[in-house]
Amino acid sequence: MTRLDEAFSERAKAQPDRLAVDGAGELLTYGQLDALGHRFARALRAAGIAPGDRVGIHLPRSGRGIAAMLGALRVGAVYVPLDPGSPPARMELIAKDCGLRAVFIAPQLLQTWLAAGVYAPVEHFFLMAPEQAPLSPPPGVSVRRWEDLLGESSEPLPPPATQLRDLAYMLYTSGSTGVPKGVMLSHENALAFVEWAADAISLSSSDRVASVAPFHFDLSVFDIWSSLSRGASITIVDEVTVLNGKRMLDLIHEKSINVWYSVPSALILMLETGGLADRGAPSLRVVYFAGEVFPIKHLRRTMQVLPRAKFWNLFGPTETNVCTAYELSSIPGEDDKAIPIGHASCGDEALVLDEQGKAVADGEVGELFIEGPTVMLGYWDSGRRTPAKHPYPTGDMVSRRPDGELMYHGRRDHMVKIHGYRVELGEVEAALNAHEQVQEAIAFAHDQRLVVVIVPRDAALSVLDVKRHAAARLPRYMIPSDIRLVQQLPRTSSGKTDRVRTKAAVIEGNTADLPPVRAAAPAPAQKDS
Amino acid sequence: MASNVKTSIHQQIVTTWLNGDDRGFDDDTDLQGTGILDSFSTLSLVAFIDETFKVQLDPVDINAETFKSVSTISELVETKLGATK
Repeated sequence: MTRLDEAFSERAKAQPDRLAVDGAGELLTYGQLDALGHRFARALRAAGIAPGDRVGIHLPRSGRGIAAMLGALRVGAVYVPLDPGSPPARMELIAKDCGLRAVFIAPQLLQTWLAAGVYAPVEHFFLMAPEQAPLSPPPGVSVRRWEDLLGESSEPLPPPATQLRDLAYMLYTSGSTGVPKGVMLSHENALAFVEWAADAISLSSSDRVASVAPFHFDLSVFDIWSSLSRGASITIVDEVTVLNGKRMLDLIHEKSINVWYSVPSALILMLETGGLADRGAPSLRVVYFAGEVFPIKHLRRTMQVLPRAKFWNLFGPTETNVCTAYELSSIPGEDDKAIPIGHASCGDEALVLDEQGKAVADGEVGELFIEGPTVMLGYWDSGRRTPAKHPYPTGDMVSRRPDGELMYHGRRDHMVKIHGYRVELGEVEAALNAHEQVQEAIAFAHDQRLVVVIVPRDAALSVLDVKRHAAARLPRYMIPSDIRLVQQLPRTSSGKTDRVRTKAAVIEGNTADLPPVRAAAPAPAQKDS
Repeated sequence: MASNVKTSIHQQIVTTWLNGDDRGFDDDTDLQGTGILDSFSTLSLVAFIDETFKVQLDPVDINAETFKSVSTISELVETKLGATK
């Protein structure tokens, strides 16, 4: 095995003129991406970035962003993709948590950071596009302009001493205590998945792979590294296009995209609003999906209109990347309740254990534990590195069928998924509890919506106040869409807040259990998705 | 018609994303900075506009500037309504 960046470099040498990335109005061949990666590596070296240092990537998905990852790896640094949709306050938490020294950043986002007074501990910003507007970085912070970065030589630096077991990148996920935590992944962790996922579908230089998932989301590891290590080309489905079923489908047709990996929501959007049923997508040969349960009704429909494509359900938390997989050999039956998450993949072993750590019998529900090469190195949390437990407890409840395939039964904790995004309810609650007029807050997910029920200290607190407060602290996908202000929450016999009854009361509209604070007109339970 | 558009978009937002609580909310409230509109709620609002006013918005019309407040969205919808007459 070779490191992620080396796997790319070999392909770049073999096929410099082939298209590597198509997106954001920019085409980069393997040779051009390679050269840009070397320039960025030199810029990092010139800034004194050393092996093991953390480097942020904060811009819309693009070939430049991928080149920045290459640049970081080529000096032995660790890249940290940052969500362009998150507020500066959350970015600051992450920057401080892992001690980001340098950030490749879109000019507009840097302006936002500086306006919010967010930069520490970052010492170096690299602008990823030309910027006309003046920038006034605080003392001690350097900003290098795009034109200036392009002036760096594209000659390779001597390779770093990075080993396969060393940290390659970190993905920050929602943390239950209110602070996002960094999942630390090594080259070896990534490659176990990258190579498995490429081999499973015989990915080659004739393939065109879509990049649909955000870079801070682990689905993108396939899009970027499986593609680049096999010589395939990446087509960026940008942040605006992914919200529009018709435009997404147009792009698949226009670019002849043939390999697709996304959350089911994106496919459902093309089905419901993009005309997928009428137009089909004959170029697609592989559909990988992950991140949330694909409702059978929609899965059946999608498979019917894409008869040529192979469908795979990939499963695993960020901590283990993909650890189980299931290839659908036929369209599920109308009466099927769920499809399996499959069996262990990527060289991993899957164990189903009870509370005492003993294996449960087939058909019984236990927690999924994973041992093997994809299990993360550990967490970077509150400035400390905590090694992963082995075998790794995923928090996912599963059962094993007699044929060996695993079935999913939900989470054992308070983590939920909203449109495939992982949300720790504790993080949402902690953010809301930080508001001085909030006495108590309970969050839960229902029907792809994040709901919070709040007992205010003061009747003056409005729903808009809560929204505004959340928007300043949480990424967009974690801002509650349904906010209820109530006089009190139901309690259990032991006096604890009764989460189960709270959720049931919201769903049933039971105002005896949840007396509203003010006699507002009853809000019809309209869906926003 | 003009005030109709504004009122009905205002009402839709208050009912759907503020649970009927309009305190502090007016037609110039920043819908992006307050987290009222995200990708999914924007899609839903676009569908509402399509249904209510029979106005199909182009993807290029939908951005942080045009969807900044009830006022800016109403302006966009009214321009489109005017153009079809």
